[in-house]
Amino acid sequence: MKGYLAFFKKEIFEYIKTYKLFIMLIVFAVFGITNPLVAKLLPEIVRNLTTDGIIITLPEPTAYDTWTQFFKNATQIGLIVTMILFSGVLSSELSKGTLINLLTKGLSRTAVILSKYTSMALIWTISITLCFGLTYGYTAYLFPNNETSNLLFSVFCLWMFGLFLLATLIFSATLTKSNYGCLLMTGIVVVACMIMDIIPAMHKYNPISLATDNMGLIMNSIEVSSLYSAILISLLLSLLFVLLSLAVFRKKQL
Amino acid sequence: MNVLEINKLYKRFGDREVLKGLDMMVPEHSIFGFIGKNGAGKTTTIKIILGLLKQDSGTITVCGQKVTYGDTKTNRYIGFLPDVPEFYGYMNPMEYLNLCGEITGLSKNKIKSKSEELLELVGLKDEKKKKIRGFSRGMKQRLGIAQALLNEPKLLICDEPTSALDPIGRKEILDILSAAKGKTTIIFSTHILSDVERICDYIGVLHDGKLALCGTLSEIKENYRHNEFVLEFGSEKEASIFEMLDELKHPSIRLWRSGNAVKVLLTDDRMDGSFLLSVLSQKCLVPLKFAVVEPTLESLFMEVVQ
Repeated sequence: MKGYLAFFKKEIFEYIKTYKLFIMLIVFAVFGITNPLVAKLLPEIVRNLTTDGIIITLPEPTAYDTWTQFFKNATQIGLIVTMILFSGVLSSELSKGTLINLLTKGLSRTAVILSKYTSMALIWTISITLCFGLTYGYTAYLFPNNETSNLLFSVFCLWMFGLFLLATLIFSATLTKSNYGCLLMTGIVVVACMIMDIIPAMHKYNPISLATDNMGLIMNSIEVSSLYSAILISLLLSLLFVLLSLAVFRKKQL
Repeated sequence: MNVLEINKLYKRFGDREVLKGLDMMVPEHSIFGFIGKNGAGKTTTIKIILGLLKQDSGTITVCGQKVTYGDTKTNRYIGFLPDVPEFYGYMNPMEYLNLCGEITGLSKNKIKSKSEELLELVGLKDEKKKKIRGFSRGMKQRLGIAQALLNEPKLLICDEPTSALDPIGRKEILDILSAAKGKTTIIFSTHILSDVERICDYIGVLHDGKLALCGTLSEIKENYRHNEFVLEFGSEKEASIFEMLDELKHPSIRLWRSGNAVKVLLTDDRMDGSFLLSVLSQKCLVPLKFAVVEPTLESLFMEVVQ
């Protein structure tokens, strides 16, 4: 436990000192602010670009548009940035040999994996909360009369999907030697989820539903209860991946 | 008491067998010079002792407790200095030692006082608030010693600590290690033999997966002393007269002359230095110098390794 706490503190300290936390916060804050802005201004921009003879009619922007922006940016660019930033979570320490020193001090390998996973999860949580908070506040200001449903639940689903991806990432990191291998394996898992999504019967259980059904939830076209299985599966898979990475890392020759 | 005992250790990488039944004992409060060529398996042995690599068979005990792979319990007795220690570049020495102390479970006050003391010992007192990123090899090595000594280990393992350093850096590291001798047992792996002669009291030569030589330095030299003598004469003429003597024309006697010095090797065990002295007195030859050749660690090493 003392090893876990000490190493967790070191991880957070590292994210601060190497500007990784800063980058995450900036990226997600920029999304948070631009989401409502883009939704509000896009029709204006398009209108100004129209030349004679072509008439483009766009509906008045609503809060739904800002949340479309939110889920598009956060899921696509946001998660990709997160994965790239964290891809060296183990490989950089192993290739440089910084971890060896601490392991020979009696730091347990379990503590290494657990503190790395939880610190990544914490940073992901802070970032997505920041992004959500900014978008929420700004949307309320720009579109005061718009109502959305299941908003918090929908963001929760996205957050859960992030945790699932981070678990995949740490498991990949224990299996591969380089950060590219780690990114590749995580990518393969995502692609596998997407391919499985082709089968309609699988959609209910597929973790990727947590990142694709968000707009449906907000517009009430998708039932909240239809995502319960996917949440459970993601939770179990995340747990499984973390446990597997513990098992693999304990037997890894360093 | 032996701080470290290794019994019948085997390790193979693919089809290359690195350790072939290594047996090794390290007595308490000694500086054990662990010598071997590059690639002899020194680092592999050390990594197995630290539980970082898994042996194929064999047992290791540290302070009477068995080492199990993947489990780091015995590491609380051990301080380890890797050949090229790597630290988190964004930390300063105090922060790094604090992290190490927290992992070992020392109290806050203890960490602080011990860190100050060790940084003083290794000569990094003025750099304690500077980022490790800008440190030279020698400074990192010194910080490496400080972190290795932080938990007051019973056994300090140094993997080639001096190989990459300049002469001054090497001397400093050796001095620090000598100073630490009273408090702990040190295993010092290296291929620099002069370092070994300077500070080690026990040596073990690793060759072909086993300890080819083991014991105290003087014991080993005693066992490996040959009947080899050097005679120095006043002139080259005298030396060549001696070299050509009929008494010395025997298959068990070998002679080399260079200038006015003659080296004699007696391969027959029944002959010794008194035979040479009697020949000299018969022929009324008085050498300027008559000396028994002491084996050097280097010659021993070459002999064992070849």
